[in-house]
Amino acid sequence: MTSGKLPDDVIAALGLVQRVSVPKPAAAPVVKASDGALQVLGILQRDARLVDFLMEDISAYEDDQIGAAVRNIHEQSRKALNQYLKLAPVIDGVEGAYTKTPSDAASVKLIGNVPPDGKAPGGTLRHRGWKVESVNLPNIPAKANMSILAPAELEVE
Amino acid sequence: MTIGIDLGTTHCGVAHSQPDSAVEQFSIAQLINVGEVRDEPLLPSFLYIPTAQEADGAPYAVGYWAQKRGTETLGRLISSAKSWLSYSGVDRTSALLPLNAPEGVAKLSPVAAESAYLRHMRDAWDEAHPDAPFAQQEIVITVPASFDAVARELTLRAAADAGYPKVTLLEEPQAAFYAWIERHPDWRERVSAGDTVLVVDVGGGTTDFTLISIRDQKGELALERIAVGDHILLGGDNMDLALARLASHKLPNTKLDALQFQALWQQCRIAKEHLLDPSYDKDEYPVTILGRGSSLIGGTIKTKLTRAEVLAAIVEGFLPLVPSTEVPERGRRSALAEIGLPYAADARITAHLADFLARSGVRPTHVLFNGGVLRAPAIRARLLEFLGVPALEGENLMHAVARGAAYYGQARQGRGLRIRGGVSRTYYVGIESSLPAVPGFPAPMKALAVAPFGMEEGTHASFSTREFVVAVGQTAEFRFFSSPRHDAGGELLEELPEELTEMPPMEVTLTGEPGLVRVTLETVVTETGMLELWCVAKDGRRWKLEFNVREKVR
Repeated sequence: MTSGKLPDDVIAALGLVQRVSVPKPAAAPVVKASDGALQVLGILQRDARLVDFLMEDISAYEDDQIGAAVRNIHEQSRKALNQYLKLAPVIDGVEGAYTKTPSDAASVKLIGNVPPDGKAPGGTLRHRGWKVESVNLPNIPAKANMSILAPAELEVE
Repeated sequence: MTIGIDLGTTHCGVAHSQPDSAVEQFSIAQLINVGEVRDEPLLPSFLYIPTAQEADGAPYAVGYWAQKRGTETLGRLISSAKSWLSYSGVDRTSALLPLNAPEGVAKLSPVAAESAYLRHMRDAWDEAHPDAPFAQQEIVITVPASFDAVARELTLRAAADAGYPKVTLLEEPQAAFYAWIERHPDWRERVSAGDTVLVVDVGGGTTDFTLISIRDQKGELALERIAVGDHILLGGDNMDLALARLASHKLPNTKLDALQFQALWQQCRIAKEHLLDPSYDKDEYPVTILGRGSSLIGGTIKTKLTRAEVLAAIVEGFLPLVPSTEVPERGRRSALAEIGLPYAADARITAHLADFLARSGVRPTHVLFNGGVLRAPAIRARLLEFLGVPALEGENLMHAVARGAAYYGQARQGRGLRIRGGVSRTYYVGIESSLPAVPGFPAPMKALAVAPFGMEEGTHASFSTREFVVAVGQTAEFRFFSSPRHDAGGELLEELPEELTEMPPMEVTLTGEPGLVRVTLETVVTETGMLELWCVAKDGRRWKLEFNVREKVR
């Protein structure tokens, strides 16, 4: 057997964060506010190639060519989202039905005939809204350059 | 506690059990992406050898990320290490994998690669259970029933190298049967004395058959494993590859690179799973390969697989309805072959099955399926049609082996039913005939059966009528053979039948004062199911014979 120990080592060596790690002295946070957003975008590109899709000029292609690819991108994006962010509707009701305004006023947007005081007991649910119930993103390594969403690939011949 | 480990060709699984409680599955923490560790139900049996930049000196990574990263690079990924472990054509302890590794990449032996997977599972367990250290648990590792004594020995060596405590080996089809018993406390109502259950295990890379007979023993049902098939390197990956080749011919005239072919392979597997399931209501499934580079839509190539194509390729290709007298084609191997695994020459699983049943001379009354491939209803239906017997329903195809191993640990301690098994082949020692030497003709060999099929755990047999003379202080070598025949222990075969396979020689070095010692042979099957051969001198001194796997055989 080679001398090495397993994945923990590899993980550590890769400059990664272990799932259960020994408590270390708290370092000043080096994570910038935008890093989380870039991380999510990076994941969607890595797992589903969403950035490739959004940045491509698709005007020249036939609908069925686009459709074939989108099926794939959609499935992978959805899988990635489910993995890292648990999404749920703000109001789990039937769209088009009368719904009472929830107590958290900031979670709804009133539209239509809004009263002068900006409050209403309820209204017709037009969109259920989305909220993130839990976030399950990996920690960002201290030295990571988050602005690289996807590294360029060079194939060595 | 008992920890059951399914050390599979393409995936590993872990389950654990405690006395009087249900078997539970353990999810294995592993590297999923750089910087991300996640618990997954299975550990892909892939080992990636990173570059110096990637891992800062760490010698390897295993699991999900290793598999993914390994397919992006050339010659840095080890797969199917387990199949190499059972291949006697190479020295299995020498660093030979990956076969196509570029200069400067540190290779590993098949034993070391298996050891890496075992070590990862141990580490993942210890991290998750600080209060129940792995080293203090009872460990059961599963091996194919067709693994011979050498492959079993090497599996134990891999476990010892990974820091495992004492390990018990269990045959995979038996584990699958235990898992079924564990899931169905009413199993005694589902089978009865006189029944014979055929376990058909089609995994990612291998296919294995075993027959288990159910007998009445003083009013209780007793189980006995009565036949074991050959090791067949043929499985779900072959099916997916067949579909990928079919689909690639239907693609517009473009050259797929290695990564795109991988993607195609994956897509074909998904298409196969849908189209072989009658509840999927369409007759075709799209296969789409996204463009490489940032031209995603423009480079997308698409085709589709139809149900008729998949049925023809998989059901008729791999599972044709052959007559029960069918014998698989052996295929001719050219004398100068590239080093590689001895893949089955005949892809017809049903032909291998017919041959196995004909040789065992037993008609099964039930079949128990195991392995992810058999999730597909059309494949199950075809096998049932071929066999003409009902299936034991309610199995767990993906996780049965690890669960069954965890259950077996309890059974071994008397808390559950045990399948009587014993050794899975008959083993022979070669004896040179004492005839006057004739130039050009080697002395004919005879074979003495020293461990008959089914010789049970915890028993021994001695062969005091045959004495051998061994020189002290030197290495004495014994030629060693195995076969699926059911010869009785002590039987002498005057001529070597064709079914006999020569194994690596067994050797022993006697320490003591120089001279000649007359010894007899004794066979022991240990409590953990390992076969041991001992030289016993008249004065009671004993020496254990060890396999010499470093020798290249044949």
